Amino acid sequence: MIKQLIILFYFLTGVLTPSISIALVIGSDQEEIYIDANFSGEELLVFGAFYSDPSQSRDSKSDILIEVVGPPEDVALRKKDSYFGFWLNSKSVTFRDVPGFYYLSSTSELTDEFLTNNQIGLLEREKSEMIDWSSLTTDWGSIINEKEKEEFFNALIRTKQNDSLYKQVSDEIEIIDGNLFRSYIDIPNTVPVGEYTVNLHLIIDNEVSQEYSYKFMVTRVGIEEAIYSFSKNYPFFYGLISLIIAIIIGWSGAEIFKRFRRI
Amino acid sequence: MSIYLPIAELSVNIFLLLSLGGVVGFLSGMFGLGGGFLMTPLLIFIGIPTNVAVATSANQIVASSISGTLGHWRQGLVDFKMGGVLLIGAFFGSILGIWIFSRLVAIGQIDTVISILYFALLTGIGLSMLIESSKVIRDRIRRKSVKRKIHYHNWAHRLPFKVRFYKSKLYISVIPPIIIGFVIGILSATMGIGGAFILIPAMIYFLGMPTSKVIGTSLFQIIFITALVTILHATTTFAVDAVLAFFLILSSVVGAQVGVLAANKLRGEEIRALLAIIVLGVATKIALDLLVEPNEIFNLSVIRLVF
Repeated sequence: MIKQLIILFYFLTGVLTPSISIALVIGSDQEEIYIDANFSGEELLVFGAFYSDPSQSRDSKSDILIEVVGPPEDVALRKKDSYFGFWLNSKSVTFRDVPGFYYLSSTSELTDEFLTNNQIGLLEREKSEMIDWSSLTTDWGSIINEKEKEEFFNALIRTKQNDSLYKQVSDEIEIIDGNLFRSYIDIPNTVPVGEYTVNLHLIIDNEVSQEYSYKFMVTRVGIEEAIYSFSKNYPFFYGLISLIIAIIIGWSGAEIFKRFRRI
Repeated sequence: MSIYLPIAELSVNIFLLLSLGGVVGFLSGMFGLGGGFLMTPLLIFIGIPTNVAVATSANQIVASSISGTLGHWRQGLVDFKMGGVLLIGAFFGSILGIWIFSRLVAIGQIDTVISILYFALLTGIGLSMLIESSKVIRDRIRRKSVKRKIHYHNWAHRLPFKVRFYKSKLYISVIPPIIIGFVIGILSATMGIGGAFILIPAMIYFLGMPTSKVIGTSLFQIIFITALVTILHATTTFAVDAVLAFFLILSSVVGAQVGVLAANKLRGEEIRALLAIIVLGVATKIALDLLVEPNEIFNLSVIRLVF
């Protein structure tokens, strides 16, 4: 099941000169991803169109960049060390307000310099030497060494990548007819609920020419939402009901099979 | 087909859950065990977070021990008084256990501690079952009958606060059963097990209870201890996943009944030896996870969601 989030993204050019004028047409049949009992991850479709400015020189290069940023969360990152042959958690760092989901995709490989200059990206910091710690509130615990901090930061991104929650790619946007683009973004079943921001950038000759952002929600619905909020708001009754279900099934199971055996 | 688990916050294959519950239920019906000692590690293996696995396992054991107790109760094989005394200890033990559990979650050591505890428990269970069953098989080959002592007199009979347990034909101090209950309570809350594996030998060897009354009484006691542990986990660690529990209970109750039927038709010792090997296999897997250098030495856990 592919729920589509349709964005029509028109860059109409040459209507009003001299600057490039843009008309955005946004169509969206759905602005939410619902986590219901059948939820097993989804594919988010982002598509649109862009038109090159005729006044632009022919050899200029147009690129599309799509960035999806999930809701912030606090995470504890723990490092295992070997103690007498056992691998046990030792040092721990708490990162505050890191995106629960992050996706960055572009039509061509972008340089770290470009991303840093335009303040796009999170993953590029993995490679860059200048790590911008200021944007993160971090509780370093016992760690004071800069090198170790960097190791932890890289591990944060790596573990998120392993869980398919962080991703940076340059080959997932399909270009059709030169000015239509389409991209399917994998939303894994472990995504956090909350508000997500999609940022689209049209890049011409390594300069951001146009930007557009919109938001969508990932929400629990139906029985999932009911159970989740009940367990948080009325934990005692939630536990009690879980027990009652266990008692009923356990009891009736025994009774049904007892009769079944007598026959 | 998969189902999204609201508390574990991930989706798992429904048939995987049903077969897991079915197999564990089958084994528990066959051997008269709760099955929690296999359920919790297997849930962790399939990717369920440790705290959810422990808490939900406790909930599942409530159902399977109710099924089991009914049969023993009808035959008058439950010593309610002894069960009650054990529960006094178990009550305080499980409260302490939940506190320990929450502390371990807070300092991020819960996975390691659970692994070590399970390794110790499963190795103990596996080896003792293997030795026991191979002894029985050997004796059967030699056509030798094993004589067992019915009643043990030991230090448990010399302590104060003696009480008469008519059903078990015992006159012993309440201190040993309370201590046993206390220990089982701690283990139940931290590991998501009923504890029958420790409880049953303890009742036979420390308390000197007659073997016929032991299983029913331990099952009876386990209903209440796991019920209490479920409530405690639901209110303090918020880790009981009702959807996960539902599927596990449903399949394990059916599995358990099939297991009971199978137990009457199959020879016990060979299967017991097989179970011992399964248990040791799980123990080995846990040990390897602790001992082999992991591919990723970092692990991430979300401590606060904005939503």
